[in-house]
Amino acid sequence: MKLSMGPQHPVTSHFRFILDVDGDAVLNFEWDVGYTHRGIEKMAENRIYIQNIPVVERINSYCDAIGTTLGYVEVVEELTGIEIPERAKYLRVIAAELNRIASHLYAVSLVGISAGFETMLMWTINDRELILDLLVKLSGQRITYTYPTIGGVRWDMPDGFKEDALKRLDYLEKRLEDYYKMMAWNRTFQMRFKNVGILKPSDAVKLGIVGPNLRASGVKADVRKDEPYEVYDRFDFEVPTGKNGDSFDRASMRLKEIEQSIVILRQALKDIPKGPIKGSPKGSKIPPTAPRGEAYSRVESARGEFGYYLVSDGKSKPYRLKISTPSFRNLPALPHLCRNVPLGDIPVIFITFDYIPLDVDR
Amino acid sequence: MLGLSFVELIELFIKVLIFPGTLFSLLFSIIVIWFERKFLARMHLRIGPLHVGPFNRLGLFQPIADFLKLVQKEIITPSRANKFLYDLMPMLAAFLSALSIAFIPYALDPSGGYWVIFYTPLSLLVILVILTAKPFIMVGAGWAANNKYCTIGALRAAFQLLAYEIPIVLSLAGIVIATRSFDLARIVEAQSSVWFIILQPIGFIVILIAMMAELLRRPFDIPLAEQEVVFGWPTEYTGVQFALVMVAEYFDLCVTASLITILFLGGWSGPAIPLLHDISPMLSGIFWFLLKMAVITVIVIMGRGVFPRLRIDQLLESGWTVLIPLAIIQILITLATAQWWLPLIGV
Repeated sequence: MKLSMGPQHPVTSHFRFILDVDGDAVLNFEWDVGYTHRGIEKMAENRIYIQNIPVVERINSYCDAIGTTLGYVEVVEELTGIEIPERAKYLRVIAAELNRIASHLYAVSLVGISAGFETMLMWTINDRELILDLLVKLSGQRITYTYPTIGGVRWDMPDGFKEDALKRLDYLEKRLEDYYKMMAWNRTFQMRFKNVGILKPSDAVKLGIVGPNLRASGVKADVRKDEPYEVYDRFDFEVPTGKNGDSFDRASMRLKEIEQSIVILRQALKDIPKGPIKGSPKGSKIPPTAPRGEAYSRVESARGEFGYYLVSDGKSKPYRLKISTPSFRNLPALPHLCRNVPLGDIPVIFITFDYIPLDVDR
Repeated sequence: MLGLSFVELIELFIKVLIFPGTLFSLLFSIIVIWFERKFLARMHLRIGPLHVGPFNRLGLFQPIADFLKLVQKEIITPSRANKFLYDLMPMLAAFLSALSIAFIPYALDPSGGYWVIFYTPLSLLVILVILTAKPFIMVGAGWAANNKYCTIGALRAAFQLLAYEIPIVLSLAGIVIATRSFDLARIVEAQSSVWFIILQPIGFIVILIAMMAELLRRPFDIPLAEQEVVFGWPTEYTGVQFALVMVAEYFDLCVTASLITILFLGGWSGPAIPLLHDISPMLSGIFWFLLKMAVITVIVIMGRGVFPRLRIDQLLESGWTVLIPLAIIQILITLATAQWWLPLIGV
């Protein structure tokens, strides 16, 4: 029986899966994406560089907006050669890590609901709000921050932000233990997630998987370590890896990464220097015209590696902006894992990869 | 009329319309739905229903408001559905679930006999027969709706309910063997000195788990799994038909809680409550019965906040390989040790 799962379905959001179902077994799996295509790459060609920041933010607006925009401003800075002040680099790291925590909490909440575990959904979404409050203080927005800008960041930290952030991180660290218990002590949770959708390291590399999903398979690859951008080389943190590469590893990988993000945030909040937050002392109002040439930048967003390739013909607008998004690069894993599995495993495997349809289609 | 005297007729009306009939079972459903929402909200660190009804921040009348909304909605029948079966099944589900309540004795009648709508010495058997009709309703509704999610959900329901009826019947066998009776009232009386939860603990655990599966409560709500089959066999129902499906679900919960109370927790037996006992000894019995029902209901509801959902193969495996052997072990233990404790229950 052909079963068309989505794009109107409680779990697939804007994806459509075409399943060959025999009773409760899935024999064949195909994905059909493109329901949220907005042509952001083409839109970017019609706007000046600074106008493009909110545009590319819409690639991944409700989860990891900072990680998305950071890649874009970096590629523009690389092309134009703008130096950014130290404080702005630290602020970018703080914002990016806070947003990574928020995004991972969101991912963990969806992991819970993929097997009908509503308590996990509610608890994590509740705690995500604490982090969003911090980001509101930093940037004035809950989800679409437009915080990094070309040549620095838009706003400085408000008074009392540091103490508030440290307090909330302490609380979150305590709550992380509860989440670990929810996963590791709950036998039913383990029955549903352990040994489901095992992605071997060799297969993961071959399929081009990126981000936490790749690390859950046991491959140590993180742009923050391998090719440090901003000031990530100054912080002492680990890159956690999983053992089996199953859905349980992918789910708990998010919690481990939140732990490391807290470690980074504490160091960043401690070390942050004083100084300006934007490149030009007066605050540049004129968008830069990039010189003729091309540049590439990659950042580790919450879902994995974001790549931006920018070609400029010397005018005020980009000639071409090619974006490679992590969710799209993780997509080949689904047909690889979702054949000959029970129907009940489809949402579990799908959700633990933490796809964002907006991210896949751009 | 019906060969009943005037007093008996009045009594029958009270039983059918008030307790344990229509009013009680509807009130039970409403209170349980409200409690479930509020209780789960607390487990989730939410607030839950808030504004409807008296008392600030309680949302007491939220289930009634929801029911009224459902009744107002248009009934939509899918164009490719089998209209007769599609319309029949929700009514049949609610009817059959309500029917079981007629056979459950809730207290001792002060004038002798039991407070039950229809007394029969085979009441347990009748309820089991009604229970076996449920997969038929689900498969019928799922097939009639002509929707792929409905069909998959209905087939899952059929698998699950058939697999979990066997442990239920087997663990009831232990009690029937001990009391030598299918009469629920007789079973309660046998527990006047010691409850069956102490004599047959394995049977209690088996029946509690199996009944949760029978009620399609989490972690056993696989046929209704939202993330997999949208809402299973009742996916297409809207408005008053959906309301009937929901009512049937909570009537089933009422029947299950009553049944477990009678079989393992000693029914209406319990020390006399001074104030209630002075009015009528029956009220004291009803109080104990409702209290025990509440405990079972809370346990069943709690599953939704604590467990993720199982997968169908895991469910069937644990049904066939764990629950059924456990129930058989319970029967063997019952047979082996009965000679020592049978005098205790007056056989």
